[in-house]
Amino acid sequence: MASNSYHYEDTTSAPDLQPKELRKLAWRSLLLQASFNYERMQAAGWLYSILPGLKSIHKNKKDLSKSMKDHMEFFNTHPFLVTFIMGIILAMEQKKEDREAIRGIKVATMGPLGGIGDALFYLTLLPITASIGASLAVNGNIFGPFVFLIMFNIIHFGVRFGLMNYGYKTGVKAIAKLKEGTQHVSRAASIVGLTVVGGLIATYVSFKIDYTWTQGESELNVQTDILDQIMPALLPLAYTLLVYWLLKKGRSPLTLIGLTVVVGLIGSYFGVM
Amino acid sequence: MLMEAILIAIWAGIIGIDLYVGLTHMHRPVVTGLVVGLILGDVTTGLIVGGTLELIWMGMVPLAGAQPPNVVIGGVIGTAFGVIAGQDPQVAVGVAIPFAVAVQGLITLFFTLFAPVMHKADQFALDANTKGIDRINYLGIAILFSFNALIAFLPIYFGAEQAAAFVETVPQWIIDGLSIAGGIMPAIGFAMLLRIMMKVEYIMFFIVGFILAAYLELPILAIALIGLAIALYDFYQNKNKQGPAPKEEEITDGI
Repeated sequence: MASNSYHYEDTTSAPDLQPKELRKLAWRSLLLQASFNYERMQAAGWLYSILPGLKSIHKNKKDLSKSMKDHMEFFNTHPFLVTFIMGIILAMEQKKEDREAIRGIKVATMGPLGGIGDALFYLTLLPITASIGASLAVNGNIFGPFVFLIMFNIIHFGVRFGLMNYGYKTGVKAIAKLKEGTQHVSRAASIVGLTVVGGLIATYVSFKIDYTWTQGESELNVQTDILDQIMPALLPLAYTLLVYWLLKKGRSPLTLIGLTVVVGLIGSYFGVM
Repeated sequence: MLMEAILIAIWAGIIGIDLYVGLTHMHRPVVTGLVVGLILGDVTTGLIVGGTLELIWMGMVPLAGAQPPNVVIGGVIGTAFGVIAGQDPQVAVGVAIPFAVAVQGLITLFFTLFAPVMHKADQFALDANTKGIDRINYLGIAILFSFNALIAFLPIYFGAEQAAAFVETVPQWIIDGLSIAGGIMPAIGFAMLLRIMMKVEYIMFFIVGFILAAYLELPILAIALIGLAIALYDFYQNKNKQGPAPKEEEITDGI
C-alpha cells in the first residue's frame, strides 16, 4: 500500500493541544453523524470533529492533506464514546506516529467502544432516565420531560467531555512508553484491527435467508438447516468478501451500495429474506 | 391549523437533527409530547400521550447501527393525532407506526443517496480544504431538518388518518426490502476497511476474529481483547528478536 511508505514532510512533534482546544473538539464531536451515509458511515463527521486539531498539528499542507485523506476512510463507533478515540488519535497525530499505526488503533477501538456504548447508554441510561420521565409525564406532571433531559444529559456531556481529556492524556502517555519500533506498533495495531473487523462482520452484517422448503411432511429451513450447518454467519462473510473482491476489481462503492439495495428488494419481493 | 402545523414541523426538523446530531435526546416522545401539547394548547394530554408513547417505544434505539422505526416522526404524529382527535394513546400509536416505519425506509434511502457526496469530501481532504469538509457536514444537517419538517407538516396539515391510508398504499415489500438492505449495508464499509488493511500475513487474525464471533458468539470487546493479547505476544516476540538480548534473559536462559 502507498500509505506504508508515507514519510511526514515535517517530522517534529507538534506542541500539546490545550484544554480549550480539546473542549472545542468535544463540542464538534456532536456532529459526528451529520453526514452519515452507507459508504463511509461517520467518516466525514469524524474528520469534522478532529479537524481543528489536525490543522494545528500539521502545519505542512501535504501532511495535513494525507492525514485528512486517511480520516475519510470508513469509520463507525458509538457517538458518545467517540471523544476517547479522538483523544488517542490526536495524541498519535501530534507525535507524528506511523500512519498505519494510527489507522490500526482507530479501527481496533471503534468496534469495542460501539458495543460498550450501546450497552451503557441505549440499554441502561436511556431506559432508566426515560422511564422515570415518562412515568411522571403520564400522570400529567410537566416536570417529567425536564427530569429526563437533565439526568440524561448530565451523564451524556460528562462522558463526552471527560473522555476527550482522558483519551488524549492516555494517548500521550502510551506513546511516550512506546518509543521503540514504530513498525512493530503498526503491526500490533493492524493485528487487533483485523481481528476486530473479522468479528464485526459476523456480528453486525445481518444477511439471512428466510425460506422453508416443504416437501410432504418434511420441512427444510434454508437458514438454520443448511447455511448455519455449513458455517454460522456464512452469508455475511461471503457477501463482504464478494464486495471486497468487487472493490479490488475497481467497482465503485456506489455501485455496490446500489447492488445491496437491489439484493434487499429482490429478497423481499420473493419473500426469501 | 396552518400555524400549528408549521410550528410542529419546525420542532420535527429540530429533533430530526437531534436524532443523529447532538443526541441530547430531546427527540424522545416524552419531550415531544410536552412541546406538541404546548403548540396545540393542551399540555396535559400531550404529556400523557408522549409519556405513553415513550414507555411503549423504550426499545426503539439505534443498536449497532440498525435503524428502528423512526421515533421522531412517530412521536410527533402520534402525539399530534392523540391531542387533536382526543384519542387513546394506544390508538395514537397505531396511527403513528406506519409513519415511523415508512420514514425510516426513506432515511435508509437518504443514507444511500448521500454516499456520492463522500467523493466530494475525498477531494476536499486531498486539497486540505477544511472549509469544504465543514460545509458537507452542515449540508447533512440542513437536509435532515428539511426532510423531517416536511414529513411532519404534510400529515398534520392534511389530517393524519388520510395520510396514514396513503402511507399504507406503499407496498410492504419495498419498505421491508429497504430495511433488509440496511442490515446488509455494513458489509460495504467492512470490505473497504479490508481493502486498505489486509495483507496476506494478517489473514489468520481476520479468521480468528470471525470464528470468535460467528461460532463462539463472543462480544466485540472480548474479541478485541483476544486480538490485543495476540498483538502483545507478537510485539514482544519481534522486539526480543531484534534488540540486543538483555542480560537478565541470558541468565534465565541458562537455567
